[in-house]
Amino acid sequence: MEMDRESGKLEQIVSQFRSKILHVILNSRIPSLHHHYQQQEPLSLARVRKSDKWFNLVLGDRAAALENLNFSLRNLLDPMIIDIILVHHSSCSSSLDNLYTPSAAVGSPSDETVIERWVVQYDCARVNATPSGADTSSSYKKTYKKSIILLRSLFAQMRLLPAYRIFRQLSSLSQTYNVDLVYKVSSFSHPFSREEEGAMKEYSFVPVEAFPGRLCVSVTYRTTLSDFNLEPLVSLPSNIITDYVGSPTTDPMRSFPSEKGFHATSFSIRGARPPSPSPFQRPHSWSSGFHKGLPLMQNQSLAGSPPAYRTSPKPYDVVSPQSDIYGNRIRNRLPTLQQATAYDEYQLSPPFSASASPSPPAYLSGANPVVAHHCSETAPVTIPFPLTGRNSFHLSLNSSDPSRHSLPPLSPRSSKHDASSQESPSGIRSYRKLEALRAGESPSGLSINYSAQKMVRDTKDDSGRFSGLLSSSGSPRIGFSRSSSRLSFQDDMDDCEFSCPFDVDDIDVSDSPASQNVEGKKALDFTAQSVPVGKKSQDAAVGMLVHMLRTAPPLRQDPSCYSTHSSKTVGYEGGVGTASGFFMPCKTADALEELKSYREMRDLLLSKSGTRVVRKEEM
Amino acid sequence: MNCEVCQLKELEVEHFEIREVLRCILHTIVFHRALGLVRPKDVDLELFEITYVQCGDVELEKKIDEKIDQFISWVEKHPNKKSQICLSFYEVKSKQPSWFTNKTERLYWEQWYANLNVTQQPKQHSSKSHLTKVVVDPGESANEERSSRRAMVEASLREVLFQIIKFVNEKKDHVPPISEGVIYFPYEITMPRKFQ
Repeated sequence: MEMDRESGKLEQIVSQFRSKILHVILNSRIPSLHHHYQQQEPLSLARVRKSDKWFNLVLGDRAAALENLNFSLRNLLDPMIIDIILVHHSSCSSSLDNLYTPSAAVGSPSDETVIERWVVQYDCARVNATPSGADTSSSYKKTYKKSIILLRSLFAQMRLLPAYRIFRQLSSLSQTYNVDLVYKVSSFSHPFSREEEGAMKEYSFVPVEAFPGRLCVSVTYRTTLSDFNLEPLVSLPSNIITDYVGSPTTDPMRSFPSEKGFHATSFSIRGARPPSPSPFQRPHSWSSGFHKGLPLMQNQSLAGSPPAYRTSPKPYDVVSPQSDIYGNRIRNRLPTLQQATAYDEYQLSPPFSASASPSPPAYLSGANPVVAHHCSETAPVTIPFPLTGRNSFHLSLNSSDPSRHSLPPLSPRSSKHDASSQESPSGIRSYRKLEALRAGESPSGLSINYSAQKMVRDTKDDSGRFSGLLSSSGSPRIGFSRSSSRLSFQDDMDDCEFSCPFDVDDIDVSDSPASQNVEGKKALDFTAQSVPVGKKSQDAAVGMLVHMLRTAPPLRQDPSCYSTHSSKTVGYEGGVGTASGFFMPCKTADALEELKSYREMRDLLLSKSGTRVVRKEEM
Repeated sequence: MNCEVCQLKELEVEHFEIREVLRCILHTIVFHRALGLVRPKDVDLELFEITYVQCGDVELEKKIDEKIDQFISWVEKHPNKKSQICLSFYEVKSKQPSWFTNKTERLYWEQWYANLNVTQQPKQHSSKSHLTKVVVDPGESANEERSSRRAMVEASLREVLFQIIKFVNEKKDHVPPISEGVIYFPYEITMPRKFQ
């Protein structure tokens, strides 16, 4: 009974030791995890989670991926091998190129080098030995104490190895480089080649007795990394472009390339990284997969409290996971992780090899070509200057002929929505919401990137849907697939204020600020816009107006309203207002009089547009 | 109980480097002996490309800085001399009380000796007439010399830190049990020896 309790505690120590080591190593090598750790508000030691108190080393919240990995590697007898891989991208592709030519970025060559390999193993060679009473009594306490010391020295040593310098450089937010650090955790690994071994050195920590076995930790590391030239990449700042299409301050006549797919208008710097992996480059399900770095979520501990010489372990709080800018990566990764971290797959899958893998690793550096690749949403648009808020037929004209007015093609969802509802699509509401939000946002994308609280993630969304919702906070230009996921995307949008800025299903011009302008300038602008169209269409427009006016119910029958030379007729709206005073003529003379007034109105409009008015002889 | 002693490799440092070097060494040792609940804090040295870890205790930091100040003032009074600073960990045991004494006893179980050879910065040599080489800007050569010397000190300091880690790993049995609520073991910093 006593022995069972002791062995249970020992097992707990071994299990937690593996988790802690994984946490220490990844926090000290993967920039994204380190960033999130730094952003965490440091709790006082008294308020630290119990799970974080293991080995008396407070490291902060653990990433969900780490929990998954821990879960999948719970066979304590299997070694836990952590490879720190330096990915060196070809210098010919810059982040900008990657963005505009995502296919090139996806297929761009990159070198992967294992610069460190950590092996954590519970060596249970003496499993058959029968422990004596003296051996087991308080042995777990000694094991725990020695494990604490080992972790301390490992923590310190991680700062002294060559890889730490690269990690620090990549963690710097002020510069981006052509290399990246990713990790791979598995229970097996390919041995190094002779050439690789020649460039590496091994260091083994003194094993810690943990009856019936012992905890062994060793590291094989590259003695020098000077061969890997860190080249700074030219990257654009992750500023939110405040004058993107749709902003009230934007010049409405400014045009954007709306053809040929997508064009990102803002970029996320690598400092705000890491970018998401390409969903097209997902590792095979049998592989453990490359893991660039996953955002931290709320801790979900799997074990009890550390044996701080107390007796009863207490249950942990399971908190709903948070999300952050890496939401899209979470979505992309988690299916992979869930595949790759399944315990059976580790047991049965063939060894993962960077060189033998037919598919490039699921990671990216620099800007986010994956995001761009998925960016199949609508392109920036030129919002045509509306005639008036009341002329809905112009809207229908615009929406029916997108190429003519440079409107984005209607998304499948929007057309579907329009068929079913008379209301403005929620995409527009969210779009406007986004506008409102952007008006108050910091110009720096970083402030959004690291506000994890803004991103609320639902773990149920780990179905692989590629949501542009969350990722839009990190990069305003985030793609989403035009598929059924759009519907769920829309559901998310209802819950979250962020959405893709270009997710414009339809444009409700009637409510746009421009449509509210009833001054003469508007008429001028309208006519100026109409001028290139041609005199013929102008006449057609006038004819349409006349038709409308004819069919409109009379407001009043006061003949004094017929005057078109009054100041009220300066604006187009004034003309309309005046015209609204007309009533249905009952005599030919009246009709002629009406026609005359219309002609005058037309002349007025034309004169304002600067075209010569050719007056026809009055009838 | 055995008292484990570790003599760290001697470092040749200049006066302005003493503070950083000693902070690095002492905090690294204490971090390995602060077995209570700590939140590790990375500290980058300014003079060298080395990051060491502190256990984040403010009081400890103050005490170490005080001792380093004392060491520096001693060095200033005794220039160009090798010196030592000793960090000892002990347990407090109460002596058998007698009629006259009721003292507590310190049982040292570990001692660390950091050996420093504080040198003065060498004076720049003036160019001599018999030199046939092209006269080089003396500032440039001094800079090169300084940077190479700095690199040597950095490498040596790194070796010392590895030495600490190795010692900590190899010898664990003599470490006393961890008391609850205590962050680090009782310690003292002394300057036991003065070389001539």
